[in-house]
Amino acid sequence: MAGPDTEGGPAGLVWRLPVVGLRAFWTPIVLSLGVLVIVLAVWASGDTVLALAVTAALIRAVMVIGLYIFIGNSGVLAFGHATFMMVGAYGVAWLTLRPFNKSFALQLPEFLAAHQYPLLPSAIAAALLAAIVAFVVGIPIMRLSGIAAAIATLAVLGMFKTFYSNWSEWTLGAATMPGIPIYVDMWIALAWVVVALFVAYIYQRSKYGLALRASREDEFAARAAGINIPRQRLIAFVLSAFFMGIGGVLEAHYLGTIAVKNFWLTITFILLAMLIVGGQRSLSGAIVGVVVISTLIEILNSLEAGMNVGVAVLSVPIGAQELTIAGLMIIILVFRPDGIMGGREVPWPFGKAGRIVRDPGAVESEHDPLRRGLAQRDSAP
Amino acid sequence: MMERLARRLRPARPGAAALAVAGTPEDTLEAFDVTVHFEGLAAVDGVSISMRNGEVFGLIGPNGAGKTTLVNVLTGFQRPTRGRVVLGGEDVTGLSAHELGRRGLARTFQAVRLFRDMPVIENLEAAAVGTGLGRREAARRASRILAWMRFAHRADDWADTLPYGEERRVGIGRALAMAPRFVLLDEPAAGLSDAECDELMGLIAEIPHVFGCGVLLIEHNMRVIMGACHRIHVIESGRTVAEGSPEEIQVNPDVLRAYLGTRSGDARG
Amino acid sequence: MTGLVQNAIDALALGSLYALTALGIGLIFGVMRLINFAHGDLIMIGGYALIVPSSAAAAVAFIGAWPAPAMVAAIVFIVMLFALACERLAFRPLRRANPSVLLITSFALSFFLEHLVVMIYGGRVKAVSIWPELLEALPISGVRIPYLQIVTIGVTIGLLVLLVLFLKRTPMGIQMRAASEDFSTARLLGVRGNRVIAVAFAISGLLAAVVSLLYVSQVGALTYSMGIPLVLFAFVATVVGGMGSLTGAVLGGFVVGIASVTLQVALPVAMRPDRDVFVYGLILLILLMRPSGLVKVKSIEEKV
Ligand SMILES: Nc1ncnc2c1ncn2[C@@H]1O[C@H](COP(=O)(O)OP(=O)(O)OP(=O)(O)O)[C@@H](O)[C@H]1O
Ligand SMILES: [Mg+2]
Repeated sequence: MAGPDTEGGPAGLVWRLPVVGLRAFWTPIVLSLGVLVIVLAVWASGDTVLALAVTAALIRAVMVIGLYIFIGNSGVLAFGHATFMMVGAYGVAWLTLRPFNKSFALQLPEFLAAHQYPLLPSAIAAALLAAIVAFVVGIPIMRLSGIAAAIATLAVLGMFKTFYSNWSEWTLGAATMPGIPIYVDMWIALAWVVVALFVAYIYQRSKYGLALRASREDEFAARAAGINIPRQRLIAFVLSAFFMGIGGVLEAHYLGTIAVKNFWLTITFILLAMLIVGGQRSLSGAIVGVVVISTLIEILNSLEAGMNVGVAVLSVPIGAQELTIAGLMIIILVFRPDGIMGGREVPWPFGKAGRIVRDPGAVESEHDPLRRGLAQRDSAP
Repeated sequence: MMERLARRLRPARPGAAALAVAGTPEDTLEAFDVTVHFEGLAAVDGVSISMRNGEVFGLIGPNGAGKTTLVNVLTGFQRPTRGRVVLGGEDVTGLSAHELGRRGLARTFQAVRLFRDMPVIENLEAAAVGTGLGRREAARRASRILAWMRFAHRADDWADTLPYGEERRVGIGRALAMAPRFVLLDEPAAGLSDAECDELMGLIAEIPHVFGCGVLLIEHNMRVIMGACHRIHVIESGRTVAEGSPEEIQVNPDVLRAYLGTRSGDARG
Repeated sequence: MTGLVQNAIDALALGSLYALTALGIGLIFGVMRLINFAHGDLIMIGGYALIVPSSAAAAVAFIGAWPAPAMVAAIVFIVMLFALACERLAFRPLRRANPSVLLITSFALSFFLEHLVVMIYGGRVKAVSIWPELLEALPISGVRIPYLQIVTIGVTIGLLVLLVLFLKRTPMGIQMRAASEDFSTARLLGVRGNRVIAVAFAISGLLAAVVSLLYVSQVGALTYSMGIPLVLFAFVATVVGGMGSLTGAVLGGFVVGIASVTLQVALPVAMRPDRDVFVYGLILLILLMRPSGLVKVKSIEEKV
């Protein structure tokens, strides 16, 4: 049974490990480096306005990665993820507003009203709250068929949006909630993008991600293979909601204000457009989509503001931005439904060396029936 | 650090493979009086079968006889109107498909149904993972099975790039990756050339002792059926016509009538 | 007692709007497995077609000033035209795509149409008034029932009857039902896919136009996002009713309408703004108990 993989011995193993690590995490490493290069370039240019725009785009990237974790792996669309951003954003506001600010208009319980909690633990706590909400609403929704589930997530968004916009004691209702500490800059947003990239990739390569991707390809075959589809979808949904929650948290600490009306269909549309244009079935697609659409938005923004072209001022009317993005999205859907990346990750450029998941030379399990059988077969005449 | 993470990704858990229960020699899969009605039409009508670990059990019958429907009942994809399914002495009627998969029933599909946008090896790994294996054991089992099927060279190819005959082979590999107690093959030879059929027949005949399981084989190709099966069960219009050894079935007048009555030949392909 | 009658009529009138919207969505879903997000925007376009295209703050009636029959005909014509254009330009190239791709395309199309309107008419709310006399109450003492509600219910019943006759009696209707049952087989049997789908879009355009007129005369204002609440509730109605079933869509529409009005009346005053929370919550509850909706449809389930 000795195959080519058993060669090398311990020395070969030691030599291989760094390659294996690099190969195993090639996708998130390359994507992180790519984003880092953009950030460094902007930082070096010293353009603070551009830096703000890039920060906003990085925050969106965290959200799109969150969205990808569910949509990309399950193949089920979700229109309700703005819910989890909203839950995260308000959650972190309750934790990190100064008690002085809270005392003005909010009627929070003592443990929130009287304290201001540290930023990072608050961010994680708020995102966990979003994840818990996703868990609860996910239980009924994940049992539905794909399309019905997509629509039911809209119902969730409708429900939470209505609730938050009337829950004045905690959210100021439809009014804007000001005074949230502003600390998110390009570097902090970048750090979260990197975290999201690695977590999303580890999930996607894990047995849970594998099972869910199988169910995306064929529900019947996945069920026959012992995969509990609602359960796998729920796991992805909750993880995805966590990063949407983080996205909301970052947005709150970037703008310093939040309002319920900003967690509705426009942001849903922008995030979905990013994911679809890049390619919903790969992490690389998610990042490419963010870069492409964010660039487009920047260009259109400057056009809407009016751009000086020599003597004349070129400008496009309000609405042109969404119109263009929607048009691009339709064109991509018609001509390249798998998006720019076509559902593939950035390829490993160094041949087949060091493929991660197969190493038959490793310890063998005595219980593996196949091994027993193969041994029998090998000893048979 | 990277390496540690990489290892965490595929934790070494010796013994996890045992989660997918391999059958014991006494293991049985039985159906009692299974009946399925589709809006009045009885697709399966009072069929009982009993198969053991270690045997290749043929299920044959003309088109529309109810073979696939019976397999759907056995694997939890179709709730029977009447009757019971018993696995290893335990009543499993009405359990969901994934639950039965975890308990050791694996199947292939007439329409193959590969995980198309995944590499071949991941098709097998997903099935292994579905039965509770960790990522690492799943990977190991998957590559062993591919090697056994002499298909390792295609491990990294995308499943949707395979020619039809190879697709079916991956389908079988995927079912076997569950380390099943019983594997149910729905027309694995459909559309294969004669040479491919012979190779497949050899593989199927080996499955019981290589994997320590039982095989239920639906096939229209009589050469494959007669060459691979220990026992054959014949149904027509949802009812049992006969059951016996290949030699008995070949000369059974009822079987000949069932086939000749509905079509001109005995086999397609 | 009179309060009960009034609430019942309210519920039926609201349910009618949802049912007609859900029906328009359901028809398309039947023939091409598309949940059409842009249906709400067809309703919106029907409203904007009433006024002169301009981004000025005050709306000037255009078709809205025509005599009723001409106005209805023109609006129906325009909305149908948009519906057919959407089909031809965005959805036909995607005929073979899976339902998720279609759904997301319609979502994009919805944004496209809305912002097209924003570019032409501006983003502000515009007041329009058609048929103000319909908002007057019936001359029955004790209750306040506007004529409009009676008209809404009447028109809905009329359209439902016509649609049932169309689906059951005409060759095209029968083909449409066959296509809903099983599209590929229907095609093999000689159903002409393109024609059936185009007719389905035309009918859904007709339904959208009618909802548009009824809805605009009720609210008296236009915004580019006015179709969204309608289409959200109608979506939910189709899911609750059972996807793929036209009866289910109508039923779901009325369930949502009746639930809204009942909650509006039954909830304590302090909680009334949260009514929709309960409506959506109720819907999730129904789905928890009946994941395939009230009317279960066979053809949706793929065969193993
Ligand atoms: N989901 C279903 N709904 C209605 N009728 C069905 C369904 N599935 C199968 N049938 C009918 O039940 C009968 C048995 O079908 P089945 O697929 O089990 O036959 P089979 O023996 O596998 O045939 P083949 O050799 O063609 O695969 C057929 O008449 C078929 O049309
Ligand atoms: Mg069959």
